[in-house]
Amino acid sequence: MSKNTSSDRRTLLKLGAIASAGLAAPFVSRAQNKPIRIGMPTILSGRVAMLGQASSNAATLEVEKFNAAGGLNGRKIELVIRDSKGQPQEAARVARELVTSENCEILLDAEASSGAFAVHEVARDLGVLVMHSVSETSSLSADPKVRTPLGFRCARQGIHDAIVGGAYAAQVAKAKNLKRWMTVSPDYAYGRDTTNEFIEYLKFFNPSVEVIGDVWPKLFQADYTESVTRLLQGKPQAIYSALWGGDLTSFIDQASIYGLFKDREFFAVNMADYAVLTAVKNVPNGLHSGNRYLKSFPNTPANTNWCNAYQARFKDLPLNWAWQNAAAVQFLTTAMKKTNSSDGKKMADALRGMSIDSPFGNNGKLTMRADDNTVVDYAVGWGALEPKEPFMAKPSPGNWKQIAELELQWKKRKSFA
Amino acid sequence: MNHLRDWQKDSLWALLALLLLLALPLTSPSRVVVDFIIRLCAMGLLATSLNMLVGYGGMVSFGHAMFFGSGAYVFALMLQKASVSVPVALLTAMLACALLAAVIGAICVRLKGIYFSFLTLAFQMLLHSIIITWTSMTGGDQGLTGGIPRPVFWGIDLSQTQHMYVFCCVLAVGGLLAMRLLMQSPFGYTLRMLRDNEDRAAYLGVHVWRVRLYAFVLAGVFAGLGGVVMSLFVSGAFPDFSYWTMSGEAVFMIMMGGIHVFIGPLVGAGLLQIFNDTVTRFTPYHGLALGVVILLFTLGFQRGVTDVFRLFRKSSAAAGKESL
Amino acid sequence: MELTALLECLGSVSCIVTQSSTGLIIGALLFLVAAGLTLIFGVLGVINFAHGSFYMLGAYIALTAYRLTDSYALAALAAGVGVGVFAWLFERFFMRRVYQSDVLLQLLVCYAFILILDDVVKIVWGAEFQSMGMPPAFQMPPLFIGGGVVPVFYVYLMSAAGLIAFLLWFTLTRTRIGKIIRAAAQNPSMTSALGLNTRLIYALVFSFGGLLAGLAGGLAAPVRSMSPGMGFSILIESFIVTVIGGMGSVSGALLGAILIGLIRSFGSIGFPLFVEGLMFLSMVLILVFRPSGIMGKAQS
Repeated sequence: MSKNTSSDRRTLLKLGAIASAGLAAPFVSRAQNKPIRIGMPTILSGRVAMLGQASSNAATLEVEKFNAAGGLNGRKIELVIRDSKGQPQEAARVARELVTSENCEILLDAEASSGAFAVHEVARDLGVLVMHSVSETSSLSADPKVRTPLGFRCARQGIHDAIVGGAYAAQVAKAKNLKRWMTVSPDYAYGRDTTNEFIEYLKFFNPSVEVIGDVWPKLFQADYTESVTRLLQGKPQAIYSALWGGDLTSFIDQASIYGLFKDREFFAVNMADYAVLTAVKNVPNGLHSGNRYLKSFPNTPANTNWCNAYQARFKDLPLNWAWQNAAAVQFLTTAMKKTNSSDGKKMADALRGMSIDSPFGNNGKLTMRADDNTVVDYAVGWGALEPKEPFMAKPSPGNWKQIAELELQWKKRKSFA
Repeated sequence: MNHLRDWQKDSLWALLALLLLLALPLTSPSRVVVDFIIRLCAMGLLATSLNMLVGYGGMVSFGHAMFFGSGAYVFALMLQKASVSVPVALLTAMLACALLAAVIGAICVRLKGIYFSFLTLAFQMLLHSIIITWTSMTGGDQGLTGGIPRPVFWGIDLSQTQHMYVFCCVLAVGGLLAMRLLMQSPFGYTLRMLRDNEDRAAYLGVHVWRVRLYAFVLAGVFAGLGGVVMSLFVSGAFPDFSYWTMSGEAVFMIMMGGIHVFIGPLVGAGLLQIFNDTVTRFTPYHGLALGVVILLFTLGFQRGVTDVFRLFRKSSAAAGKESL
Repeated sequence: MELTALLECLGSVSCIVTQSSTGLIIGALLFLVAAGLTLIFGVLGVINFAHGSFYMLGAYIALTAYRLTDSYALAALAAGVGVGVFAWLFERFFMRRVYQSDVLLQLLVCYAFILILDDVVKIVWGAEFQSMGMPPAFQMPPLFIGGGVVPVFYVYLMSAAGLIAFLLWFTLTRTRIGKIIRAAAQNPSMTSALGLNTRLIYALVFSFGGLLAGLAGGLAAPVRSMSPGMGFSILIESFIVTVIGGMGSVSGALLGAILIGLIRSFGSIGFPLFVEGLMFLSMVLILVFRPSGIMGKAQS
């Protein structure tokens, strides 16, 4: 995996330069060749910089494909990418600027958590179509107080992962008689919600399970020693974790030398992510994971081709944020083609309930659910992990009918529906 | 102008500034200017209030953003959960900041030098921890989501851009004028005296601890006012507002702008904002760019922009021209 | 709050052993990082706000060295030496100019370097997090001591921390160079008047402090993941430790580190969601009641 991506930076800048040069040629810029500018706030610096990198890479690749195929009647998309440094007030400023001074008609919001909420409010205020491609927080689409008719989300949701994971883990628990569970997850909204939901559904599918303790280290905490020793003391038979990225990697490294994974099953929802899989040198046995992104799941040529194309272009393997952004752009371009315009309101009407062919779909298709503007039918599954390709040999894919039913009940409990 | 008293001069300048600000959006239909000014209002208030402590009081606070964050959260919470009017929410926010500053200040101002700085930092991080942990009230690390309601008051509708812009400008100019008048008052000069020679001031009967506490509380209130403006801008409140990076930004603003001139921090805030807004457009390596600029200022000029002008003025005055 | 769980633990020997060893392990790593910071403050009177970035640089240098040589020892050494050299240059060309200035100016210079180093690291090593992995020499089952589990790697780390603490104490109190350094710390003008090169002493101490930070980064690399911007949290932790222990005192840093380690390990049982808050609370309490720290000289 390459560590040097400055060439990609240069390519991006070159792309932008060419695009602006194209704009400058006066006799070419008739109204119908006016480019469609899509503003993309994301995080390109700080601890989570790889989120922005994966997101912008995938979006750029998809946009290039669209432009190469002729664009929208000759109108090409220009992606205007900005760094919010992971600060929500900066995300708000950047989003506003993209719309008001950079003439962006659409926002592709690749911000996480609080940044996404900030951008959402800006889009609501300015009446602009926004497609969130990173935030997995359910309330962004589920909560009627937050939801807006022009706001969409093309990203996985914690609740979906929890339902599928809970069902899978309940099965494994039954088969291996895992009654005593503990959890270790980062203490912030995503970590708490994901963990609580997983446990809820684990118990729903297997009531004999008991959670005897939970540990909550801080996000980006470097030293997990006290978390590991607490887990050891509890002597659970299985451990669940919503840790991700570098945190998950160092947690596994630190836990391994304590022998935490000896004779224990470890369920890490964010393990099947190429960044982690390639970084962790000692993948423990008895490891299960949900799929963040895997070339082999779905096991289709479309998915493999997309992954190879991404890797050929950017040298890194794609991450979860990559497929979400690629799909987000696919939704937007499909809506543009369907309405033959780049008007946000028209596109929004088309997007509601829209189904597109996608390499990331459960059955080759992704659907933008009409009643809450969020994507469903994406490939979500859990399975046992191995330390080498294809990493997850036998994934258990989620059943979307079941997911939808349980999700509706969950929404009613939360007074979202 | 010479027969006018100082406070009248200052008030006239403030009025002029306000009129200029209000006229500014008329020159350009773009919202960029409006957004820039609104953010400058928030950060300008934060930076100037911090300079009350640093420049005028010689008290280097590393944790000043805790009041910025508190102001934002209390204001947003009052509107979201208590459904009060905007003026009531505003006053409550400022009062809450005053109370918080009084309690924390009472403990902090007894310490000197670097220990004062560290204690303010510790309190700020403690407050930040509480904000992050108290999820039911503050929304935790996601902040207050869902936007803040803006009920119409006195005919002002803050969901409209022009009204919002005028409101923020009035708050900022008003706040800055108030701070200016305070710093030019006997209280302000006492504060300077404490900065320059604490023992002497004590000999003269000045109650050192009390004056410092008043300064701390006042600085906290105006920082909270800045927080209110920021909260309106993002339509919510985020824990970042109370993080040490926000305090750090305020420190850079006053260092870049100059700590010995009243509008120094405001100038610094503007410069840093312009720099930030332009550099992020061209490169993801804005940290590198900003770092180099900071080095230029600190090692090259060794003082803020307005301080350079002030020294230049002083030396030309000393060269025989009319002194001010 | 789970006070009953805490009390239960305090009543059980095995729990006390495990949690105490956990505290010591955490403390050892904290001490390694904080030692350099407190040394620099003690002798030069400046707070090296870039200390976290030195640590980060050390971690990355160790990563590359390990990938090139497959030797953990060499990697840690390279980290220490590399950062030591960098710190020497940093002091020589930048810090030296602001010794007499306001603390805010010093803070700004260091902050500028934090920003620059974060981007440099991102350019050279990439934005994605990196991991060194445990060297094969330490991939063995943990030791069982008195009912508690202690990994072999941590035994090694604690010994390293102890060794460094001893070496520092010995050098500062029992050797001639140590006396010179302490003299320069207490009275630089007099020391200089006696013909000793205080500038050189300052440079040496600063670069040695940087070396310690880099060494800490390299030593901890097998159990940490590296990403640009990882220095901030290390810096905050070092502050807490040095403030509690006493700025300028190496023994204070050791005590402070162990104390924080114990607070974290026992605190995570009693106050699982507020461990960080506990640390800041401790910092507040120390500053209020004994501002100069546990081992610092009492303020008048």
